[in-house]
Amino acid sequence: MPNSDKTSIKDSILQRVYEDNLAISDPYTKKSHPARSPSNRVIFHVLPVLLITVLFALIHFISDPISRRLTDPVAFSAKDSIYPWAKIIRDQQSAPTGGPLISYGGDSIPGSEISFDAQRLLNYDFLLNQNHVRVSSIFGLDIQTIVIDPGHGGKDPGALGSQGTREKDIVLDIALRLRDQLMESGRYRVLLTRETDTFISLSDRVKFSNFNKADLFISLHINALEQKEFNVTETFYFGPPSDEYTLRLAEQENSGSEILARDFKNMIKRIGDVLKEQESATLASSIQRSLFSNMEKYDREIADNGTKIAPFVVLLGVDAPSVLVEISCITKSEEEENLNNPVYREKITSSLKGGIKGYLIKRQTQVVKGDDDGEKFLNKKS
Amino acid sequence: MAKNSSTKKADEKLLVGIDLGTSRSTISADNNKKKWVESYVGWPRDFISRKVVGKPILFGEEAVKHRLSLDMYRPLKNGVIKEGTARDEEAVKELIRHLISLVQSSKSDTKIRAVVGVPAESFKMNKIALKKAVAEFAEALFVVSEPFAVAYGVGALDNTMVIDIGAGTVDFCIMHGTVPTEEDQRTVLTAGDYIDQQLFTFLKERYPQADFNLNMIRRFKEEHSFVGKIEKNVEVEIPVEGKSTVHNITDEVKRACESILPAIVESTLELIAKFDPEYQDTIRENIILAGGGSQINGLAEYLEEAIGEYGPTKVRVVEDPLYGGADGALQLAIEMPEEYWTES
Repeated sequence: MPNSDKTSIKDSILQRVYEDNLAISDPYTKKSHPARSPSNRVIFHVLPVLLITVLFALIHFISDPISRRLTDPVAFSAKDSIYPWAKIIRDQQSAPTGGPLISYGGDSIPGSEISFDAQRLLNYDFLLNQNHVRVSSIFGLDIQTIVIDPGHGGKDPGALGSQGTREKDIVLDIALRLRDQLMESGRYRVLLTRETDTFISLSDRVKFSNFNKADLFISLHINALEQKEFNVTETFYFGPPSDEYTLRLAEQENSGSEILARDFKNMIKRIGDVLKEQESATLASSIQRSLFSNMEKYDREIADNGTKIAPFVVLLGVDAPSVLVEISCITKSEEEENLNNPVYREKITSSLKGGIKGYLIKRQTQVVKGDDDGEKFLNKKS
Repeated sequence: MAKNSSTKKADEKLLVGIDLGTSRSTISADNNKKKWVESYVGWPRDFISRKVVGKPILFGEEAVKHRLSLDMYRPLKNGVIKEGTARDEEAVKELIRHLISLVQSSKSDTKIRAVVGVPAESFKMNKIALKKAVAEFAEALFVVSEPFAVAYGVGALDNTMVIDIGAGTVDFCIMHGTVPTEEDQRTVLTAGDYIDQQLFTFLKERYPQADFNLNMIRRFKEEHSFVGKIEKNVEVEIPVEGKSTVHNITDEVKRACESILPAIVESTLELIAKFDPEYQDTIRENIILAGGGSQINGLAEYLEEAIGEYGPTKVRVVEDPLYGGADGALQLAIEMPEEYWTES
């Protein structure tokens, strides 16, 4: 490259570095190049605050007598159902003073881009109970960090097989394999709550996940049943127990959580986090489907208990969408033998990865239209 | 260049280029001093620890040595400063302060002008935090992405791709005569640390009795890493029940190092394919490897062969992988016009 060309390229590069850094100094300065989108993670955390702000602003707006005249409900087509939310939030951010700049439907306000029903917007349930629309898909939330939590460890062996196989060893091995498989693409940061045979309390697992800003949390366990001839696979996300068996299982897995009652009270407030619940339900369903369809090849009698809701402490405390997988039952002797085979464990890992990837691919779909997960979620809610 | 004449530094100014890495951070100053430190910051846990270590804050190797007495931070682990954690931001600030003190003369009133290169992911997320952190001890500061700093330093300004293989991330950057935008850059998270994890797992599988830790694994990797053809056996000493024993780890080192290649090849091809088709061949022939990972034996040849399936490919390695980023940042600092400094 001729020197004069190089000099002029350098001049323009230095100018761009200067301009880019000016934009950094003042976040309100308009950038001269296409703006970088804000971190999705920030949206994730700001979302609840934004929604509350919007609601207050709307209530204020509606209570105003002039604006009340503008709030005649206008038919709200299904096609438009998602977008007004995004628009209001965008407008709310850019509004210099007062309430959000909302454009109303109908002929009275010409030039409005999107029409919607303001009364309907006041109903918070509308957004949260949309079984066809995932909150995360509206805001395009991204997955960066996946935390895998191999259950038990150290002084706590977890479930035991009759030949001495310990749950803690099997789930650690599968967790390490899963980390490697998920990291192959280079797209996700995958962390383990424990990488060795050490005891970690449930509260520390929760802290680890939240400190590392996990976007997904997957806890791995192996089950034990009194009826030793049975083999079952099931995946849980947080919620009140659906049956007595689930409640007992939660008691077992929660023992030694070292979480104080007062903390628990604070944590329970988070149950209303619909975003987490929707995502957890979808992730659980995807993992369970992949896991069962693969494990059925090895044990034709294995029962598919599907996705279930249970009050596991570790799932409650984690901020991110989270599931607990009971992979299979160590108490069935054939299954215990299988679990001791590394090839089998690799197969289990691949099916777990398949379920996670299935979920991640599904996230890219903006609107989930009446699929299994949506239906299950709706059924659960009702 | 007309502007350059005005960049002539006043006597009391010190220009520095800093490369804040996941594993190591480096500084290069226009007084010809260069230093590096492991990117660890540690504060004594309590009063007793403070007495034991004898300092209010420790950095790098010294911090690692006293880690049991310290609250340890590796602030750029995984390529980003953790959001909302004040201590991580504080650690970055202290790390930069420490780096500057290593090259600063005793005259403490020297005004610092710094260009800081950070991992591309961090660049996206933490620019404001970084600027705030450094504001109190640098007169002026510019933040740039690490691979861009490397490219600027080696004069690879046009139709070039830089692949910066660090500990936490591999950063890709296409230079086309201007500051790369987000579309010109990519980050994958399988890098040096991932090789360590893999090697650890492989060796645990093959030699369950051998007693080793991640520090030893990292040393094995730095001394013996290679991909592709096996030129010679890799043998290392690892204790077994307290007795030092020679272990052949050739296959495991090869597998671990090669585990990061699919993501590198895929990202390289994807990034080039997105670029103007007229210049894709030129970029393929101008690929530069930087960062600690560029020292993996056989890597350039492997990539030339893998990417070569799509057209003639030339991969070269920067001369100084340790200081490549800091030198590039310093070069930017030196060539930055005076008015940009004063108005920044």
